[in-house]
Amino acid sequence: MVQYSSDLDAVFAAVADGTRRGILERLGRREASISELAEQFDMTLTGMKKHVQLLEDAGLVRTQKVGRVRTCSLGTRRLTAEAAWIAKYHQMVEAQLDSLGDFLERTKGDQP
Amino acid sequence: MTTTASTTGTTMRHTLSTPTDRTIRVERIFDATRDRVWRAYTEPALVAQWWGRGNKLVIEKMEVQRGGHWRFVEHTPDGETHGFEGRFREVTPQDRIARTFEWDGMPGYTILETAEFTDLGDGRTRVVGTSLFFTPEERDGMLHSGMEGGMAQSYAALDKLLAEGRDR
Repeated sequence: MVQYSSDLDAVFAAVADGTRRGILERLGRREASISELAEQFDMTLTGMKKHVQLLEDAGLVRTQKVGRVRTCSLGTRRLTAEAAWIAKYHQMVEAQLDSLGDFLERTKGDQP
Repeated sequence: MTTTASTTGTTMRHTLSTPTDRTIRVERIFDATRDRVWRAYTEPALVAQWWGRGNKLVIEKMEVQRGGHWRFVEHTPDGETHGFEGRFREVTPQDRIARTFEWDGMPGYTILETAEFTDLGDGRTRVVGTSLFFTPEERDGMLHSGMEGGMAQSYAALDKLLAEGRDR
């Protein structure tokens, strides 16, 4: 079984960025080299390497170097989406509690 | 294991922890009576005012009773809609609600949500929420075969949801 809790922070940090979500979405369709990704996202190779490194640290992306080309693909895809969903749900529950607190404050005195 | 807690004004902010790999526990004390908190959780007209976190929420169905079906549709400012639904497993007035929760974008990934309400006796109420995640395999005993395409779709939907939530 996958250790979700230990990965949650890393997953959450990884998917908090729009470019990294785009990379995941792109890799969900087909694997790509770092230079291909850099070109598609209009970034420098160094910048893309940093994003990929973060995603790889979170277990969301897997890279493999063949010759001079580093190819990126999704990590264990099924679990990746699941872990990311847990992270998203986590964030939603937090926001709902904030929202409920605000609601209770602003309706104070409305009801007997 | 992650835990966060802070205090703002008279209302204690949530405490969030993950006691097991796939359990999320939240705890929060509201400066409101248990009756008000209970109604905020169980009356559709009130749920619609906070559950969507500022987004428009349409409550298509909410049968607050054991076995009852609920379905909410959230409308984001950029026109996306996200459906959430499940069934009530337990409804003990003023005390406890247990229900299943599923997002349309991750079909089969059922979460069992429990909320417990404690009257602190001074006009405040403690809410403890527990969420337990099940995989489709655990829920249905399904095999992995044929899941790839479905997961790619889930991923695309998830990405949209994440993109919308990034500023929150």
